[in-house]
Amino acid sequence: MNAENLAKANDLLHRFPKKSSALIPLLHLVEDEFGYIPEAEVQVVADLMRVTPAYVEGVLTFYTLFHRQPTGKYLIQVCRGLSCQLNGADELSRFLYEELGVQRSGTTADGLFTVEEVECIALCKNAPAVQINLDFYPNVTKEQLRSFLDKAAKEVRSGA
Amino acid sequence: MPEKRLLFKNIDVPGIDGIEVYEQHGGYQSLRKAVLDMTPDAVLQEVMTSNLRGRGGAGFPTGRKWSFLPKDGRTRYLVCNGDESEPGTCKDQEIIYRIPHLLIEGVLASAYAIGAEDAFIYLRGEFKTGYAVLERAIAEARAKGYVGDNVLGSGKRIEITLYLGAGAYICGEETALLESLEGKRGNPRLKPPFPATAGLYGMPTVVNNVETLSAVVPIIEMGGAEYAKLGTERSAGTKLFSVSGNVKRPGNYEVELGKVTLRELLYDIAGGPPDGHEFKAVIPGGSSVPFLTPDTFDTPLDYESLQAAGTMLGSGGVIVLDDRACIAGSTLRLMEFYRHESCGKCTPCREGTMWLNQILQRIESGEGRPGDLETLEDLCSNIDGQTFCPLGDAAIGALRSGLKLFHDEFEAHITKGGCPMGEVVR
Repeated sequence: MNAENLAKANDLLHRFPKKSSALIPLLHLVEDEFGYIPEAEVQVVADLMRVTPAYVEGVLTFYTLFHRQPTGKYLIQVCRGLSCQLNGADELSRFLYEELGVQRSGTTADGLFTVEEVECIALCKNAPAVQINLDFYPNVTKEQLRSFLDKAAKEVRSGA
Repeated sequence: MPEKRLLFKNIDVPGIDGIEVYEQHGGYQSLRKAVLDMTPDAVLQEVMTSNLRGRGGAGFPTGRKWSFLPKDGRTRYLVCNGDESEPGTCKDQEIIYRIPHLLIEGVLASAYAIGAEDAFIYLRGEFKTGYAVLERAIAEARAKGYVGDNVLGSGKRIEITLYLGAGAYICGEETALLESLEGKRGNPRLKPPFPATAGLYGMPTVVNNVETLSAVVPIIEMGGAEYAKLGTERSAGTKLFSVSGNVKRPGNYEVELGKVTLRELLYDIAGGPPDGHEFKAVIPGGSSVPFLTPDTFDTPLDYESLQAAGTMLGSGGVIVLDDRACIAGSTLRLMEFYRHESCGKCTPCREGTMWLNQILQRIESGEGRPGDLETLEDLCSNIDGQTFCPLGDAAIGALRSGLKLFHDEFEAHITKGGCPMGEVVR
């Protein structure tokens, strides 16, 4: 973890009535910083919590928002809940796979985009819905996704 | 009868997510009344009188749940369940993101009533923005003296701590939520003991849904007796229904329980089916409850009537399927969900959802075999009532009723070797 997150981590260790509660917030810090939970960071978190790395692994593998492999700069999660599916979610995922040349849960070669299909994200009244780095995109169309992909790729090429 | 807005009364007021506007519209008056003019027991009594029932899905009487806390002097906790993950349900999300102070006020008043100094709001991991919204709102409430060591000068301490989950439907189950809040895997606990006696960190704990705690605000404002006059005798008050799927005006709608039929909700409020289509089936209480077909659309929306119709009010997540939807495909989609979300702790759920998923998969893809439908039913009966937590029963709700109501459609998948609906919806 970087210095800023380490400071936050030390705060978190004392935020809850029992220290054990800090584990999931610590893992969020790691996931936010690296885009996944690297092996070395499992040890860092274990040391902070004074538990074994195996214990940390046991907890983190329970939760789908913690990734074991690096994800792209943009993590695109297409909701495939029934309400979204009834409104064309499958078409959106197919579009993204074709457009980006990736498979399900795959990351583009340039490391820019990861596409996942996820379970209901509680935006059912705005189906189909997508979240990109956990920002909600309600009532999404293929056109909107295309312009997002173009914009993101352009920004990265121009060195932003 | 149209919508009846108590929780959503001011939701369309610009700036209502900020404390100034919220206060201008009567915000924090209920907390004031509770903390300054009422004893904790008197607040509990109002909630008892109101007949409020849990809005998360189980419908347990809220006042009774609170009254189970032992009077033994141990530290008590209030935990707000904001893990909203039931497919078809998006009502808590709207409260959190658009009227955060209503929730905070409800949490504070409820914590006061049950004698909890520490309240936690557990949000599903995807509500990262909602977390920021609530964080800001709590800071505003703290600056005004509503949160902290000396709430409104009463000498009472009430602190609210936010907690972000990390993607697990099962954490909506209250004991799994408590495990997660303690920093562990979200495996449900064996009950008893119930959280009221051994909850968070082993202490007496009340876990209530976002909508339930928000409803405490109007209950204090109008008094429990007035609130109880809304709705029916056993289903009091208003309820938020999330209408989604194949419908013209999907949305969250607040109605008086028992005063609106499913038909009125679907047609008058939500605009009816998309042009050129007809409704085929509805799952009225989140993905965990049995289907209703149009011949039962005149059922009033309350706990008892929906139960009598063979389904449940549940979370109020109304998923609507029109004539393009394949019931086998839709139940497969739901089963994939439950299989994915089964925590794996107990066998009937872990293995059962896997097998159900596999068989539904082959039926939908045209490789169904004679006897598959009987096997599905057999598997369901081996899950029914056999699991630690309600996820097992939830997984079979829609499938079982689908097999009954749309038996011919499932049968056709097997005899015709594929989905008779083509690939329209799956």
